[in-house]
Amino acid sequence: MKLIFGVVGSFVAVAGFAVLLETPRRYLLHAGIAGAIGGFVYLFSVQRGVDVVLSSFLSALAIALTSHTFARIFKAPVTIFLIAGILPTVPGAGMYRIVYYIIANDSAKSSYYLTQTLEIAGVIALAIFIMDTLFKVRIKKVEKQ
Amino acid sequence: MDYKLVMNTAVLAGEMMLRSGAETYRVEDTMYHILRTAQTETVEASVMMTGIVATISNPDMEPITVIKRVQERGTNLNRIMKVNDISRKYCAGELTLKAAYEELKNIGGKQYRVWVYNLATILVPTGFAPLFGGGILETAAAAAVGCVLALVVTLGKRLQINGFILDTLSSLGIAAAAILLKWVFPSLDEDIVIISAIMPMVPGVAITNAVRDTLQGDYISGGARILEAFLKAAAVALGVGAGMALAGLIHPGGGIL
Repeated sequence: MKLIFGVVGSFVAVAGFAVLLETPRRYLLHAGIAGAIGGFVYLFSVQRGVDVVLSSFLSALAIALTSHTFARIFKAPVTIFLIAGILPTVPGAGMYRIVYYIIANDSAKSSYYLTQTLEIAGVIALAIFIMDTLFKVRIKKVEKQ
Repeated sequence: MDYKLVMNTAVLAGEMMLRSGAETYRVEDTMYHILRTAQTETVEASVMMTGIVATISNPDMEPITVIKRVQERGTNLNRIMKVNDISRKYCAGELTLKAAYEELKNIGGKQYRVWVYNLATILVPTGFAPLFGGGILETAAAAAVGCVLALVVTLGKRLQINGFILDTLSSLGIAAAAILLKWVFPSLDEDIVIISAIMPMVPGVAITNAVRDTLQGDYISGGARILEAFLKAAAVALGVGAGMALAGLIHPGGGIL
């Protein structure tokens, strides 16, 4: 139940964010779907007790895969779906918590969130990197045939 | 071949992409492709977060070098897509140089009406509340706080307040509103509400792009983006802290600071 609620939430949030990022009108729904898939993978793995960093990695992989697929189908740059879609996974709240706990003079918590945020940002970048590379390999093979 | 116009087209395309939040290597790639159509011996395009340097030269001519400082940066995926489209068409020979330049100049900025942006600003917190583990109550509260956010942002844009201050003011409004709601509904988890509501401003995408740029080898852009992300986070955290403290002043025990 909570999972469904969360998935609907991430769809709404990502579609809304896509407007703020000036995504072209006809791709708003697709960006939302990419975000919902990412939110689903993230929530599903977190509920199964998987570590937050690993869940972010899996979710980013799913979003990158969806974005690349959408980009091929709808002939649009990958970024259009990726930037908005990645949002549920991306460590925005972590960035805020780092600085918040620095201001609140709680250095143990701020350094905990600093490490976690950098790890999450790192694994998301890695996931995007892996998918980019995989899709490049695939295209080159097709061209050779 | 009008070298000057090729250069101007490439720099204009690069500037628009950089201003719209494209990754550094993508901007360089696009500029390189456009400059290559001049078929000169040397083609260089170097893009940093805050500016562009590009040069083309042949043995029989003076090199043409352009430096362009880029001040404002936002995210506008529509513009990136259009620039991409035009440059691809131009490089494929479907557009003449002049037509490409004119089309680049005519790319507009905003594509939605103000109320659509405001609706989106309310929808983002509403959607994030369940994702952060909030129930019905938190979701409704996030929507209400989102309305406050939309109001502050619209007012601030109309008064042309600068970005850092606007972020601080918006998060101040969010924190104060969330804590006010907490008094009305004591079972509300105000942490979830605040975190959901600041999501439109928080630099999650910026920090991820920073790591992407760094992995790509663009250390200057990567470092600059990390700095930008932390500055934005500081603005938001400062606002939330101030908002909580303010609410605590009115009603002791409301805030952490």
